Amino acid sequence: MPVSTWKQKLGDAMPPPMAEEIDAFESQMTLKKQGRIDDKLFAETRLRRGAYGQRYDNGQRHDGIAARQLQFPSAATKGPDTLWDAPGMQRIKIPYGGLTPDQMEILADVAEEYSDAICHVTTRQDIQLHYVHIDDTPDLMRRLAAVGITTREACGNSVRNITGCSVAGVCHDETFDVTPYSRALAWFLLGHPDVQDFGRKVKVAFSGCKGRACALTNIHDLGFIARKQEINGEEKRGFEMYVGGGLGAVPYNAKLFDAFVPEEEIMPLTQAVARVYARLGEKRNRGRARVKFLVDKLGIEEFRRLVHEERKTLPHDARWTGYLDDVAAYAEKPLKPAAGLKPGGGDVHFETWRATNVYRQKQTGYGVATVALPLGDITSWQLRRLAGITRKYCGDSARTTVEQNIVLRWVPEADLPRLYTDLKSIGLAREGAGTLFDVVSCPGTDTCKLGISSSRGLAGEMHQRLATRWQQYDAAVQGLRIKISGCFNSCSQHHLADLGFYGVSRKVGGATVPHFRVVLGGQWEENGGAYGLAIGAVPSKRIPDFIDRIIEKYLAEREGNESFRDFIQRIGKRELKKVVDTLATVPPYQLDPSYYSDWRDPREYSISDIGVGECAGEVVSRIDFDLQNAERLYFEAQLAHEDGDHRKADGTAFAAMVAAAGGLVRLENLDIGDDPDVVIPQFRRLYVETKLFHDRYAGGKFAEYLFARHEQGERPADADQVRLLLEETQLFIEAAHACHARLTEKTDDDRAAAGGRDTADAVNA
Amino acid sequence: MTETPMFNDLHKIGIKFFTLSGNDVPLADFIPVFHRWIQHGSLNDTLVDVADYSHVPAGPGTMLIAHAGNYAIDETGNRRGFLYYSKRELPGSGVEARLAEVCRRNLDACRLLEKDEDTRECIDIDYGRLQIIANDRLHAPNSDETRQALEPVLKNFLARLYPGSGYKLESDSADPRERFSVTVSMQERAQSAEELLSRL
Repeated sequence: MPVSTWKQKLGDAMPPPMAEEIDAFESQMTLKKQGRIDDKLFAETRLRRGAYGQRYDNGQRHDGIAARQLQFPSAATKGPDTLWDAPGMQRIKIPYGGLTPDQMEILADVAEEYSDAICHVTTRQDIQLHYVHIDDTPDLMRRLAAVGITTREACGNSVRNITGCSVAGVCHDETFDVTPYSRALAWFLLGHPDVQDFGRKVKVAFSGCKGRACALTNIHDLGFIARKQEINGEEKRGFEMYVGGGLGAVPYNAKLFDAFVPEEEIMPLTQAVARVYARLGEKRNRGRARVKFLVDKLGIEEFRRLVHEERKTLPHDARWTGYLDDVAAYAEKPLKPAAGLKPGGGDVHFETWRATNVYRQKQTGYGVATVALPLGDITSWQLRRLAGITRKYCGDSARTTVEQNIVLRWVPEADLPRLYTDLKSIGLAREGAGTLFDVVSCPGTDTCKLGISSSRGLAGEMHQRLATRWQQYDAAVQGLRIKISGCFNSCSQHHLADLGFYGVSRKVGGATVPHFRVVLGGQWEENGGAYGLAIGAVPSKRIPDFIDRIIEKYLAEREGNESFRDFIQRIGKRELKKVVDTLATVPPYQLDPSYYSDWRDPREYSISDIGVGECAGEVVSRIDFDLQNAERLYFEAQLAHEDGDHRKADGTAFAAMVAAAGGLVRLENLDIGDDPDVVIPQFRRLYVETKLFHDRYAGGKFAEYLFARHEQGERPADADQVRLLLEETQLFIEAAHACHARLTEKTDDDRAAAGGRDTADAVNA
Repeated sequence: MTETPMFNDLHKIGIKFFTLSGNDVPLADFIPVFHRWIQHGSLNDTLVDVADYSHVPAGPGTMLIAHAGNYAIDETGNRRGFLYYSKRELPGSGVEARLAEVCRRNLDACRLLEKDEDTRECIDIDYGRLQIIANDRLHAPNSDETRQALEPVLKNFLARLYPGSGYKLESDSADPRERFSVTVSMQERAQSAEELLSRL
């Protein structure tokens, strides 16, 4: 019998928890279409499944002549001012960048069938697909789940993809391989109750050493750098732990939280950080809501004290140390025996590629080959073939990188010429990885709602111009990095680039002209150790000229072996501004209209397409999700009842009431879980005996529905009993909503009465 | 031939007409063309945006993203052509009707290319060589069963589009991981999109 849905076809191939989450998301989509979930809540719900908005999703687009409405078939929405039918971006989490060939093949398939046949590697090792219709996302997620990939919490106010060194385990400089730690923490935090109530996102990174840049811990909310320490004569593994780093408009360097956190403490300490951040972090002012602002506000000493206090209150979790068995057992097995590269025989292109794209592993006879992706893009056709190449040369050891490339690890050096030939046959043997030629760019105005200038257009232009020129520069210039963001939010990590740019606009003679602000001399090494100097703004169309001039200036004026960064520091802003100023003038439109459109976008430039970004997600508290979950379960119970499965309907309706009650209890007890025998007594004590749950007219009647059904335990439910229970469930959930609303109003009133003490003070009091 | 229920659910279909000439025209040159089509509302769909993948070798090239489907000067497999593929449900109760609808949408765009002042002199479409793609591995996996189900549909469709002409039909790949797709070479080619449209 032919199967007609991916859900049927994949069946047991999906891990049950993932399958259930995706089913739940699909139910939430149905409820949204029925108007039973509000826009804000659904927006955050889809964001936490990685389904992000995209430019023009408010249904308006400036076509170069005028702003026009995009006439989609439906006026339904999937968030505030976001149309259901408008294409969106699907972000896919790839923890520490680890990819297997099977995963590559499925990514290729879903990109081809639901997107535009392009997988885009991000600067945080995710994969993004663009122009995806939300109706396609459940199946897309199911196909990924079947190969162990989740999109959960890829966006929204939770813990995003955990990044890690792409050369972990094979690097000469690392203290130890951080791979099993980053993997364990990623899965520990995924969906964890303590990471559901943030004001903004949290980014975590693992690095094997301090000196290199691979994981950029300095720019993360939470960064771990591998350390070993002798304790009681025994060498112990642990991490130097940093908090409060971040880029964005105002970059913050991460602060040292602890010089050595033993490996068994990284999970509970992260959990404690999450709780402190959830409790004290800003939630109203989105621009001040990241961890970096909380650390800055409290000071690192106070932040540290609060986290350690919180740590003491955490209920023990066996997973904190349970994962260490996996760490001990973790070892990558090379597919093939080591073999050195025979000298000679390679052509000049191979040698150039080898010089820039191959890193010799600490394991003699093996190398890491970087597959350099232009602008981070790889086609489905290429990715499917790259999967085959990965299988052929290194088994399943591939990773995405923060420079938007893919690395193949454990390649026997003797195989490099053949690997090069195979990559060349699919257009993936581009040399110059990690050089001036390897331009990094965020999506910018191509697809991002916040984009101001065309970062990808400029990056594409630079990529084309540098293709034949980058090798003509001397080594000091070849090694420079260009990173281009479409706005100040720094998704390309322009603060860390030698030559960084971010999009801005300027009014010239009544028209708007795309520009890029120049940020020079950032430090990529030492985990993104220092941020560049922001100089002035240059018209978008003059940026290539600016790059030429600044490089010429460096070559002409550097002192000895002075690095570009040192040169920038030495000559300073005043001198650099002169270079900017020579290119800053915009001719009148009549003389040169090209300035008034952006790279690879002939439309007359306008900033009217800039929308409200979804980077910040929507501030939705944990109880909103709990109540939504109750609604979903109630809906599923109704469906089961319609299908005649009364037993399932009965159990699901009861679970819906427990979920709603649990949401209220969780306001007082974060660790409540979902066991009815635990939830219901606490609900009775906290809300019924105190009459907080009581309705003005019905009193405690609705709570009695829950208690009565709980007392009955397992029962052979018939259709009438279930119909009655469904009615009661609906009333109970409504009562839970009303109770929550009353509590919120009371909190607001208390806050007003307290004279506006800020949240932190109130909590500390 | 009775279509299997699975195959009959196929809605994601692509048709690519290969180019006769113009393979050296830079992909970026098509960006302003597609923007102009959006400005003028030239096609019968909600035209959303232009996507530039000219930097990617053998890729989807320059795309015009629309609601119901995407249009592209496509170079997948290093073969340039004009591609349209549907993304949403198509009208028509069977695959043959949907194939005709996809072809109609593609040819509507090809007709614009023939007339556009920037492209009419520099690119020629080969209206006798096309690729047909089932962009749906669930309902039309790359298998013998799909080929058997599709062959009579294709036969009818091609007889309607090219009455009296013989053709050669080749599978593009036997690899079950790939999408099902075939390349069709007609013995007699049409001269214009209009000519083919008149037969649909």
